Amino acid sequence: MNPRAIILNAYVYAVLIFILLPILVILPMAFSETTYLTFPPEGMTLRWFEDFFGNSRWMAATWFSVKIAALTAITTAVIGTMATYALVRGAKAMGTLFQAFLIGPIVVPHIALAVALYLFFQNTGLSGTVFGYVAAHSIIAMPFTVFTVAAALSSVDPALEDAAMSCGANRFNAFRLVTLPIILPNVISGALFAFIISFDEPVIAFFLAGIRDKTLPRMMFDDIEQNLTPIIPAIAVMLTLLSIVVLLAAGLLKYVANRNAARVEQS
Amino acid sequence: MSQAVSSNVKGASIEIKHLGKTFGNVKAVNDVSLTINAGEFVALLGPSGSGKSTVLMSIAGFERPSEGQILIGGQDCTRLPPNKRNIGMVFQHYTLFPHLSVGDNVAFPLKMRGVAKAERRRQAEAALEVVRLGGYGDRTPNQLSGGQQQRVALARAIVYNPQVLLMDEPLSALDKNLREEMQIEIKRLHAELGFTVVFVTHDQGEALTMADRIAILKAGRLQQVSQARELYERPSNLFAASFIGEMNMLPVRWDGVNAVFSDQDQIRLPDTASIQPVRPGSAILAIRPERLSIAAPGTEGSWKATVRDVVYAGAGSLLITHLADGSEVRLRVASAGQAPIRPGQEIGIKVPPEAALLYPADASQ
Ligand SMILES: Nc1ncnc2c1ncn2[C@@H]1O[C@H](COP(=O)(O)OP(=O)(O)OP(=O)(O)O)[C@@H](O)[C@H]1O
Ligand SMILES: [Mg+2]
Repeated sequence: MNPRAIILNAYVYAVLIFILLPILVILPMAFSETTYLTFPPEGMTLRWFEDFFGNSRWMAATWFSVKIAALTAITTAVIGTMATYALVRGAKAMGTLFQAFLIGPIVVPHIALAVALYLFFQNTGLSGTVFGYVAAHSIIAMPFTVFTVAAALSSVDPALEDAAMSCGANRFNAFRLVTLPIILPNVISGALFAFIISFDEPVIAFFLAGIRDKTLPRMMFDDIEQNLTPIIPAIAVMLTLLSIVVLLAAGLLKYVANRNAARVEQS
Repeated sequence: MSQAVSSNVKGASIEIKHLGKTFGNVKAVNDVSLTINAGEFVALLGPSGSGKSTVLMSIAGFERPSEGQILIGGQDCTRLPPNKRNIGMVFQHYTLFPHLSVGDNVAFPLKMRGVAKAERRRQAEAALEVVRLGGYGDRTPNQLSGGQQQRVALARAIVYNPQVLLMDEPLSALDKNLREEMQIEIKRLHAELGFTVVFVTHDQGEALTMADRIAILKAGRLQQVSQARELYERPSNLFAASFIGEMNMLPVRWDGVNAVFSDQDQIRLPDTASIQPVRPGSAILAIRPERLSIAAPGTEGSWKATVRDVVYAGAGSLLITHLADGSEVRLRVASAGQAPIRPGQEIGIKVPPEAALLYPADASQ
């Protein structure tokens, strides 16, 4: 390795450590025996995990978050796939405008979106409802679904659907039996991303929370305000693990998708 | 016409009536009328952009005609979607479904028609055997070569015994040997199964060897529809004459009996030389290079020419010569038994009058 490569490597690792450090610091705190946050942690206990699973308010928030995240994943997968199909295969002129709407939320600050939705939902009674959360989370998760599905779809030859139709399939069956199975890994991986984005989404949750139903991130905010116990890092540990698992799953799917795409190109 | 017609009437006739298709301001197909008999094999031939695919896709139902009508088996299909037309289709690219096995690919049309699973398998395997790929059902398409993939596509197109098989340059992605093998295969299937074939190609050799009749398109318009021999020997206009095979084209003055070259040489033409009546005036004399022969310079009735180039090509040789006024004339002669000819040499060219064709010089005709 030449000196420049060594310096570059060192720099990259330094940046990575700088990014990871807060996580590496917070994680051990989850096992501290103290009732307050401290570093380095004192003692070793799983008590905060037990507290979390034993507490009905935490559990209710978790299930509420899971429900919303799952519905968001399904919603973005269905709408995102249909929209992407129209974008990739449809008329180009309308497509550009349409695309701007779909992936625009990626550049709109979430706080701006949250305030806008807050005002809108207040007047329409959607605040704190499952529908309200799912709609809001779908907006911010949609760009990721569109990107992953578009990547797969643009590598599928449109002539495959023509071939299916010449075999007697109607337009919908041509999509369902030919195109969809080929892009399915990407659709699922897009849905997994949407799940994670919704599951630990804090800003919109903060504005839209109702009195009764709160998402997990919103509960964590409340808890931090009132009594900052190591239950927060304990939850952080679990959220991190969940993210890693989902990202690995998405990565695996992407691998499968790439292999399919390579097949499509070859054949 | 194909012998399949008499032995077998499984095919359906196709009537194309005044077909027109406009894309924006491009008239891709312009008033094309063509009747294809049941069981006939017709090739659509023409240069790139002449509208071949658009005609085929209109028959298939993927293009909606701007004008005209398409009848398949006597039934008006102009507005029928492709999946309701019961046609088999082979595309230019390989369009096998990559996520399905070869067997499932071939069984796909049967599945769409509600055939039970066991029966589907049996018929798919039978269709694979027809294209000589029996036992390949469990492979995936990417495990096959290009030629094998097109054979699977062919099996998929014929598995449900369609009355019409449409093919859009199905062999253009294959190398020469495979292409010839597939041409024979397709001809054999056509003879055995008797369906009507419409075959798009820009390879004239392919069209001449495979088709019962060849339809020539240029800029969206039908130029000529005839059997290979007639097309080659009596092309109906200058475009068809120059598009198929090699053709010498000489500008002449036509006085109704004799064609006069600019240097006062002349040739007396029989009535059969003009396919349509040609008005006296400037005209084009067309003649195939292999119909000309060499004579000693100055021989009675021969044209005086100077050899510019000799291209030896095994059995035959190509002689590129020019007449006194500079116009080029090419000859294809047998290489054997020919005295060596060198560039610069003076020769005589013998022109059998019955081999000459006369066309109006006006290119728009
Ligand atoms: N979808 C379309 N939109 C606009 N123009 C089109 C479309 N399809 C075909 N054309 C135009 O119509 C004309 C005929 O096209 P077509 O594909 O039928 O030609 P072709 O004879 O099949 O040519 P090739 O040998 O290159 O396949 C061309 O000028 C082409 O540019
Ligand atoms: Mg074409």
